[in-house]
Amino acid sequence: MVKQRRRDLTVMQQLARGPIDIPYLMLVIILTVIGVIMVFSSSYPTAMNEGLSPTNYFVKQATFGAIGLAAMFVIARINYQTFRGLSVFVLGISIILLVLVLPFGYGRSTVGAQRWISLPFIGGFQPSEIAKVGVIMYFAARLSKRNTEKHRRLPSRHPLSGLHAWLDEKGVLEPIPYFIILGLVAVLMLMEPHMSGTILVLVGGASVLFAAGIRLYWFFGGGAAAAAGLFFIMTQTSYMATRLTIWKDPWNDGENGLGKGFQLIQSLYAIGSGGLLGVGLGKSRQKFLYLPESENDYIFAIVCEELGFLGAAIVIVLFILLVLRGYWIAVHARDRFGALLVVGITTLTAVQVFLNIAVVTNLIPSTGISLPFFSYGGTALMIQLAEMGMVLSVSRQIPAPKQE
Amino acid sequence: MAQRNRGRRIIRQKPDRKANRVIFIRSLILMGVFGCLAFLPLFVKLWQLQITDHDYYQELAVKQQTRDSTVTANRGTIYDSNGTVLAMSATVYNIQLSPNDLRETQETYREKVEKAQESGGSLPDYPEPTNEFIASNLAAILDLDEADILRRLEKDSQYEMIKWRVDTEESDAVQEFITENHLSHGIYLMPTSKRYYPKNSLAAQVIGWVNPNMDNVGAYGLEAQFEDELSGQTGRIVTAKDGNGTELLYRFEDYYDAMDGNDLTLTLDATIQSFCESVVQEGVEQFEVQNGAFCLVMDPNTGAILAWANSPTYDLNDPWEISDPVLLQYIEDVKSGAYTEEEAYQKALAEGCTQEEAYDKAVDAAVGNAQLSQWRNKAINDTYEPGSTFKSMVLAAALEEGVVTESDHFYCSGSVMVEGYGSPIKCSNRSGHKDQDLATAVANSCNPAFIEIGQRLGAEKFYDYLEDFGFLGPTNIDVQGESASGGQIIWSRESFTNVDLAVASFGQRFNVTPLQLITAASAVINGGHLMQPYVVSQISDSDGNVLQHTEPTEVRQVVSEETSARCRAILEKVVDGGTGKNAAVEGYRIGGKTGSSETTETGRTIVSFLGFAPADDPQVVVLLAYDNPKPVSPGANVTSGGWYIGGGSMAGLKAGELLEDILDYLGVEKSYSATDDVLVPDVTGMTVEQATEALKQNNLTLRTVGEGDTITGQIPANGASIPGGSQVVVYLGVDVPTDQVQVPNVIGLTAEQAQAKLAEVDLYLRVSGASQYGDNVVSYEQSVTAGTLVDRGSTIEVRFNDATASGEGL
Repeated sequence: MVKQRRRDLTVMQQLARGPIDIPYLMLVIILTVIGVIMVFSSSYPTAMNEGLSPTNYFVKQATFGAIGLAAMFVIARINYQTFRGLSVFVLGISIILLVLVLPFGYGRSTVGAQRWISLPFIGGFQPSEIAKVGVIMYFAARLSKRNTEKHRRLPSRHPLSGLHAWLDEKGVLEPIPYFIILGLVAVLMLMEPHMSGTILVLVGGASVLFAAGIRLYWFFGGGAAAAAGLFFIMTQTSYMATRLTIWKDPWNDGENGLGKGFQLIQSLYAIGSGGLLGVGLGKSRQKFLYLPESENDYIFAIVCEELGFLGAAIVIVLFILLVLRGYWIAVHARDRFGALLVVGITTLTAVQVFLNIAVVTNLIPSTGISLPFFSYGGTALMIQLAEMGMVLSVSRQIPAPKQE
Repeated sequence: MAQRNRGRRIIRQKPDRKANRVIFIRSLILMGVFGCLAFLPLFVKLWQLQITDHDYYQELAVKQQTRDSTVTANRGTIYDSNGTVLAMSATVYNIQLSPNDLRETQETYREKVEKAQESGGSLPDYPEPTNEFIASNLAAILDLDEADILRRLEKDSQYEMIKWRVDTEESDAVQEFITENHLSHGIYLMPTSKRYYPKNSLAAQVIGWVNPNMDNVGAYGLEAQFEDELSGQTGRIVTAKDGNGTELLYRFEDYYDAMDGNDLTLTLDATIQSFCESVVQEGVEQFEVQNGAFCLVMDPNTGAILAWANSPTYDLNDPWEISDPVLLQYIEDVKSGAYTEEEAYQKALAEGCTQEEAYDKAVDAAVGNAQLSQWRNKAINDTYEPGSTFKSMVLAAALEEGVVTESDHFYCSGSVMVEGYGSPIKCSNRSGHKDQDLATAVANSCNPAFIEIGQRLGAEKFYDYLEDFGFLGPTNIDVQGESASGGQIIWSRESFTNVDLAVASFGQRFNVTPLQLITAASAVINGGHLMQPYVVSQISDSDGNVLQHTEPTEVRQVVSEETSARCRAILEKVVDGGTGKNAAVEGYRIGGKTGSSETTETGRTIVSFLGFAPADDPQVVVLLAYDNPKPVSPGANVTSGGWYIGGGSMAGLKAGELLEDILDYLGVEKSYSATDDVLVPDVTGMTVEQATEALKQNNLTLRTVGEGDTITGQIPANGASIPGGSQVVVYLGVDVPTDQVQVPNVIGLTAEQAQAKLAEVDLYLRVSGASQYGDNVVSYEQSVTAGTLVDRGSTIEVRFNDATASGEGL
C-alpha cells in the first residue's frame, strides 16, 4: 500500500497519526527494562541449578521483551477503531482456546492445573491471558454504544411485557449478556482450574462495566455476593482454610515452615533482609534455591532484597505513575470505546500489580498472580506489551489542546 | 472502500454528553481507587517488613543462608618456673566409621575383582575389606569389642564414632591400616584436642583439669580459674550456602581467626613440688595419716608459691580414677561392710530402696566422696586450728609492741588460771617448764608463757595484729578455692574475751587456712612485709609475648625489720635444740615452729611444722601438715609404728628432709661444719708423719695397720669423699684388704654408738637429722640396708631424730 500523503487523509486518519503519549511509553520501557534485568538477577541460580546456562532465562525474557516492544509499537500505530471489529474475534478465539486447553493443554504435571497450550510459531502460552484482553476489548466495544443500542421489547400482549419494560428501564436487563460471557469464561477457567486468572478476568470485565455506567446497584450487589462467596470459601472449604492459616502464620503449616508456608517464609526473609537500601543489585542470597519461583511470581521479593525499601518503593511508584497515566489517557480519550478499553487494561494492570505484591508481602492470602513486566514468562510479557500498545494507540487520538 | 465505510459507521457513534460524563466520573473513581488507595497498604506493609522488622528477618535469613563452622583454638600451655610443661594440649583423633561409605568401598572392591576376572588382569593386592576383616583389625588396634564394631558396621548409618581421643600410637596404627587396605573411604580420623598433663599428679589440686566431656572447659584449679586466658578464642568460618546446602565458597565468606589461648607460667618449681609431694606421701604412709596432708613452700620475700602439695592426690590425666591408697582403702571398707554407716545407704533405705540398691548407692556415694576429696585443695579450701605455729605471730606482735624482750623470764608450773575461765589451762608439759627466758619459752612452745604474752598485748592489740597479719580476710591469691571472706572461723572483735585471748595466744579455738598462716609467717621472718601470695608469675600469648607479669605485692608492713630479725633468731632456737630439733639439717641454719592442732573430733590431731631457711636470710618458708595420724589405740599418743604424734616428731622430721632437699637444689651455701665431707688426699708413699700432717689439713685423722715407715696403701682411696673428722686407715707394708664388708644395723643407736659400730668394719658415718641433742636422739633410717655388701671405706648415711615425748613439739 502506497503511503498516503498527509493532505490526502481524512480528519479521522489524521487523528490516528497523532503523537503517542511519551510519558506512558517511557514508563512502559523503563518497567520492561528493570523487569528483564531483575529476571536475569533472580533467575541465574535457578538456571545453573537446572544445568542451564546462567543467562538462559534472561536471554529468553529479553528476546520476548524486545519482540514485545516491537509489537507494542506496531499495535500503537494501528488505528484503535479497528479493535472494535476485532474484539469479537479475539473473544471468540480466546473462548475456543479455553475449551481446547482442557483436552490439549498442559501444566497439570507441574502446577496441577491445565493452563498452557502450545501453538505452532507462538509456543506455549496461557489462553487466559488472551481471554482477559478479549473480554475487555469486547466489553469496551459494545458498551461504548450502549446509548444507541436498541432495546428489545416483548410484544405488548406478552404477560411479562410490563415487567420486562420496567426491568429494562431500571437497567436490570442490560448487563445480563455480559454476565453470561463472563460466566462462561470464568467457568472454563475454573475448570483448568485457574482461580487467580478468573479473578483477573472478572476484575477486567467489571471495571469496563463500571466505567461504562452500568447501574451501581449491580456493583453493590456483586460486591456483596463476592464477599459472601469469599467468606464461604475461606471458612467452609479446606482449600482456602489452609491458605488462611498460613496467611496468619506461615510457620504454622504443620511442617514448621517447611511445608506450604515455606515459599512465603522465604519471601518474607528476602524482603525483610533487604532493609532500607537492599543488599545490592545481583547480591540476593535468597535466590540461591531458597525462594521457589524467585524469577516468577515471587520476583518482587528479590527486588525488595536487592534494592531495599527504596528500590521497591521506586518500582511501585513507577507502576502507580503508569496506572495514573493510563487513567489520564482514558479520560482524555477521543471516544468512549478508547476510554473504556484503556480503563479496562489499566485497571487490570493495577489489580495485577496490587495482588502480586500483596501476596509476596503476605498482606493477603496467596494466589498465583504474576507481576506485569517483571515475572518470567515470554508470552505473558508480550501480551502485556501488546495491551500497552493498545493504550498507546488510544493515546495517539487524543485531541491536542486547543491553541488559542 | 470497505474500510472507509466501516470508518463512517464508527463515526456514527453519537456524541452523548451524559454517557461521556458517566465514563469520565467513573474513570476518575477507578483512578482514585486503583491508582492511589490500593497501593498505600503495600507501602505500609513493606515498611513494616523492611524497616521495622528488618533485624528479625535478616537474622533468620542469615541463619539459614550461612554455615558457621568453628575453628578450635589451641588451649594455652601451663609451665612451671623453669619452663617445664605442666599442662599442654595436643591434637588427637576420634575414630569414626561410616558404614554406608564402607559398603561403597566394598562394592568398589567387588567390581575390581569382577573386572580383573573378566579381563584376566591382576586381582587387588590387598585383602577384601569385609566387615569382619575391618572389625577384627580395628578391635585389635584400638582394644575394643569386635562384636560391637561388627554390629555397628551393619547399621544403615553415615557416622559411627567408635573411639574418642585415641593416643597418637593408636591413631597412627589406624592410619596405617587405612592406607594399607585402601579404606580411606569409610574410616575417618577426626581431629580433636586433648589435654595432657605430662607430670601426671604433680600439683594436681593447683593446676586442676579440663573436662573432656564438657568441651574441654576448665573444671578445677588454675584450668578453671584462668579459663578465659587459657581457652583462647574459637575461630569461625562463615560461608554462604544455597538452599540445597551447597557451599557458595566464592560468596560472603567471613573468616574469624582462632586466637590460641595464652600460656601461664607458674611460680611453682616442678622439682621442689616433687620433693614436697614425696615428703607428703612418705609421711602419710609412715605416720598412718588418715585425713590427708598438705605442704606449702613459699618464697617469703615475694609471696611466690614454689610448691603446693596435697594428699590424697590423683592423676590429672584421669581425674576420676582413684589411686590414693587411703581412699582406695576407704572404698574397700565401704564395699566390704562399712556401707551400712554411709549416709547414702540410710537415705536410700528410708526412700524404700532394696538393700542391693542401697548398697550400690552407698558405694557410688563413697566413690564420689573419694573423688571430691582428692580434687580438694586442702591448703586453701579447708581451715584448721593453727596451734603452736601461730605463736610465731604472737611473738612478733609482742616484740613489736615492746611488751616482751629477750631478757624477760616466764615461769611455767604446768598450768595457769585465766580470769573468766573455771579450770586451769594446761601446758603440754604437765610438770611445767619452770623458769625460762623468752627464747626458751618459744623453744619449749610453752602455753602459760604465751598466755602471759597475750595478756600483756591485750585483746585490742592482739586483735589488731590478727587483722594486720591477714587472718581476717582473703590473701587474694590467684588460685581457685579461696572463699571471699578468707575462710577463717574466728571471733568477732566485739566478742573477743579475755579467755579467747588466752587460748588464741597459743593458736587454739579458731580456724584459719594454711595459706593465711604461711603468708603471715612469711611476714614474721621476711622483715615484716605481708606479701600477697601468688602462683601465676606470667601470662604470655602463644607467640611468647608477655601480656602480664606478676610483680610481688606487699599488702602492708606488719612489724619492723628489727622485730623480724629478733623473731628469726628466736625461732632458729626452736630447731636448734627446741621442739623443732628434728627438722635440723647439718650445715643449714633452719628456723621454725612446731604445731599440733586439736580438732573437734576426738583423737584427731593435725601435726604441722612451719620452717624457714636459711634462718638469717630466709629464702624459703615451708608449712607441712599431716591430718590425723592414726594412734595405735584410741587415745594413745603414738602410732603403731612407734611415732610420737606431734608436730616436731612427725612434721618437723619430714620438713627437715624437705628443707635439705630444697636448699641443696636451690644451691644455698652450707655453713661450715666440722663434719662436712672432705676429700681424702693421696698419702701412699708418705711417711706416717707426713700423712698425719696432710690429713690434718683436710680435717681427717689416721689409724695405722701393720708396721713400717712408708705407707703402702690406704682406705678410703685417694679422692674419696668422707665426713670430716673421720679416720683414714693407712697400711704400712700390709696388703690393703679388697674384700667387701657387710653393713651392720645401726638403727636405734645414738650417733656415737653408730659411728663405733661402722668403724669396726671400716665404714664411715654421715649423720643427718637431729644429731647432737641428747641421748633421746637415735637413728631411725640408714641409707644402705643392713646386710648389704659394700666396699671398705664407703660412707653410710644415717638419719637421726628424737622420737620421744621431748621431741613431740606441740
